[in-house]
Amino acid sequence: MPGTSLRAYLITRLALVIPMVLILLTMVFLLMRVAPGDPISASLGGHVPPSVVNQIKHQLGFDKPLSVQYVDYLWGIVRGDFGTTITDHRPLSNIILVNGAATLELTFFAMLVAIVVGVVVGLVAGRFRDTPLDVGGRLFGIVIYATPVFFLGLMAQLVFGVWLDWLPTSDRASPITQATLQTHTNLFIVDSIIDGNWTALQDCIRHLILPAVTLGLATAGIFIRLIRINVIRTLRDDYIEAARARGIKEKDVVYHHAFKNALVPVITVVGLNMALLLGGAVLTETTFNWPGLGHALVTYLENRDYTAVQGIIVVFALVVVAISLLVDFINAYVDPRIRY
Amino acid sequence: MNWKWSSRRVALVTAVLAGLIGVAVLAGASLASSSSHRSTAASSSIIVDGTTDSVVNIDPANQYDYGSFTVDLPIFQGLYGFPNGAKLQPVLATGCKSSPNLKTWTCALRRNVKFWDGNPMTSADVKYSFDRVQKIKGDQGIYTLLSNLKSTSVSGPYTVVFHLASPQSTWPFILSTNAGYVVEKAKYPFNKILSNTDQQYGTGPYKLQKYTPGQQAVFVPNTNYWGPKPKNGGIIVNYYSKSSTMKLALEKGEIDMAFRDFTPTELASLSKEKGIVVHSGNGVVIRYLVFNVKRAPFNNLAVRKALAYLMPRQDIASRVYHGSVKPLYSMVPAGLPGHTDAYKSFYGAAPSVAKAKAVLAKAGVKTPLAITLWYTPSHYGDVSADEYAEMQRAFNASGLFKVTLKSAEWAQYSSTLGKTYDAFQLGWFPDYPDAEDYTVSFYQPAAFYNNGYADPTMNKLIAAERGAKTTAIRLRVLGQMQALAAKQIPTIPYWQGNMIAVSKSDIQGVNSTLDAAFYMRFWKLSKS
Repeated sequence: MPGTSLRAYLITRLALVIPMVLILLTMVFLLMRVAPGDPISASLGGHVPPSVVNQIKHQLGFDKPLSVQYVDYLWGIVRGDFGTTITDHRPLSNIILVNGAATLELTFFAMLVAIVVGVVVGLVAGRFRDTPLDVGGRLFGIVIYATPVFFLGLMAQLVFGVWLDWLPTSDRASPITQATLQTHTNLFIVDSIIDGNWTALQDCIRHLILPAVTLGLATAGIFIRLIRINVIRTLRDDYIEAARARGIKEKDVVYHHAFKNALVPVITVVGLNMALLLGGAVLTETTFNWPGLGHALVTYLENRDYTAVQGIIVVFALVVVAISLLVDFINAYVDPRIRY
Repeated sequence: MNWKWSSRRVALVTAVLAGLIGVAVLAGASLASSSSHRSTAASSSIIVDGTTDSVVNIDPANQYDYGSFTVDLPIFQGLYGFPNGAKLQPVLATGCKSSPNLKTWTCALRRNVKFWDGNPMTSADVKYSFDRVQKIKGDQGIYTLLSNLKSTSVSGPYTVVFHLASPQSTWPFILSTNAGYVVEKAKYPFNKILSNTDQQYGTGPYKLQKYTPGQQAVFVPNTNYWGPKPKNGGIIVNYYSKSSTMKLALEKGEIDMAFRDFTPTELASLSKEKGIVVHSGNGVVIRYLVFNVKRAPFNNLAVRKALAYLMPRQDIASRVYHGSVKPLYSMVPAGLPGHTDAYKSFYGAAPSVAKAKAVLAKAGVKTPLAITLWYTPSHYGDVSADEYAEMQRAFNASGLFKVTLKSAEWAQYSSTLGKTYDAFQLGWFPDYPDAEDYTVSFYQPAAFYNNGYADPTMNKLIAAERGAKTTAIRLRVLGQMQALAAKQIPTIPYWQGNMIAVSKSDIQGVNSTLDAAFYMRFWKLSKS
């Protein structure tokens, strides 16, 4: 079957983003309003008379028919206006810039941890199949995959923060660093480097280690199992047998031929795991008081802040879509056999 | 071709590994110097405070929650306030005088007061601030505190006159609230609130240098402050979503102190730790059980009385809260002028099963009576579940009731209250620390909690309290209101919380700010 061009494929994928986001927006919009409670009562209930609560709901248009609210909301999105949070009056753009940067920093380093741990353990386990190394690697992969990320985080805090007292247990940096660091990108590590503030850089890295490793390990479990299987399968392939038959050293066969080809599917899985990573970030951020989008999402959900929740979920969705597109593009680029 | 793809992949993997190795090297270097970082918070005169409170609005025109109040307190001031203790004092005013009918209040302003940017504060700023709150009518509802204010006028640069719709003896208390904070006229738009990340302009001892939502507020001393200079070099408030994380940060020395809130279990644990001090003073937060007096079975006074006889206040205070709260026998907390132990007078200090049984028997109520009590764990803390389990245990143990407990998340709970629930948990934090705020708010007709309570005698007492010409008369009326409420039982108050702050042992002055005003006066704290 003849394949279409990569360009046409990407255009189709981009066009599909619109209905996908629309469906997502509609679902979040409806679910938030179907859930009992509302942001004004959550904020003022138990303090001011119901007449005042109703008056404020009226001011904010929460007494309008749902269809009118929905159209108003969509019209705002179309104009690029995600609005301002109801509970603390923050523009969504500010949340995306400030909290989004924190999440980006965390997930980037978590992905690095996941890839390195996943690749190393997966390769070793696959290469030394059915040896204690393989059993240990598999066991490690299953345990870290099965352990809830918040539990892993709590254990890390307890061991490395409390018992060993090696690392801080919360925040992106110590209070003094946070107060004095000049923000350029809101990525603390990048900002420290831009300013040449090496003390702040060290401080930020120390704060990043526990949350990034926790979140990274939770994702690494999938990589370990996938890479192990790929290595085992690749080592049985004909071209590996042929290489051996040609007298190439076993070390070269394994490291130069088998391992490299076994890593191709990882690119796809990295993309697919982005959604998992963002989901894990919600729990990791809460455990480590990491002020990212997930942390903000939990707070706004508790307060039924429609605008904030809708905005953050749309951002999450767009990130997942963008990464999945990027992965498709990279896959097609590195492997011309791939057609769509 | 195959080799070409591999090269790319190799490059990719190599780059990733190189990045990680770089991070690891830097991390190693950091670990080696960890001890110097750990002492950062303790190495300067800047005090780092942790809190689980959140900030809604810093602009006083729309600020009506404790987290935002704590941010505003160091930077804004009102004509009156509680700068040195639980006693109301003039702050930006030198004093206010009322007309004989208590409907006009004339305030003389303190001279030589400047905003932190050096501009002088005048009556125009004061009038503008009050007019602005009334104009904006912010969604946090702070403007409701000014509902009795008809208009504000000025008489020269240092005199402000407040014209009220009805007599109000407690107007100076209103002037002490956030609704009365003075902002610089030239810097604040009249019809909209400033964003939390905008620069704020007040006359307080500090300037808000930097605010990062949900993360940190940084205060530096106001060099143009008219009063005594702060005893520290600045304050950093760090925000935490969980008290357990804040506890770890305090234990590790990342923060110098924490105000507020820890769970009772965490407080008990912290009080045993070396180098950490748990400070406790009079508090004004209360918890109470509300009855919908219009719906069965709580429309029967005998049922409410029986529960008042059985309320296990002491057990809740000691078993659930480990002594961090005190039993409360009035909606007005002990320590405030006008407080009377009204419920203790009527129903005794300790539970009495015999009296509860007698009152139900006399009313012909068949026992055990099935009742449902509602509480919320997401607003008053997880400990609410233990609190209500203790209540359930006590009521069931009497053999007179069969209690079912139900709970709901705050977002749902707060929109329901008396509309659906027959008996439910609530808490109260005052707008101003005066008995009026603990009585009128609950006993006026159509009170916020929708419990159906309305009583003509109580309404007359409310009017008499508001129009009282002297403090003695006012306090007497407040006593009568508490007695009447204890007789009719629209609510049962059961505990009063202490004001608690936890600090490292080198932080001085914490105890001097723990009083019934519930102000964290950061300017009084220092580091030794």
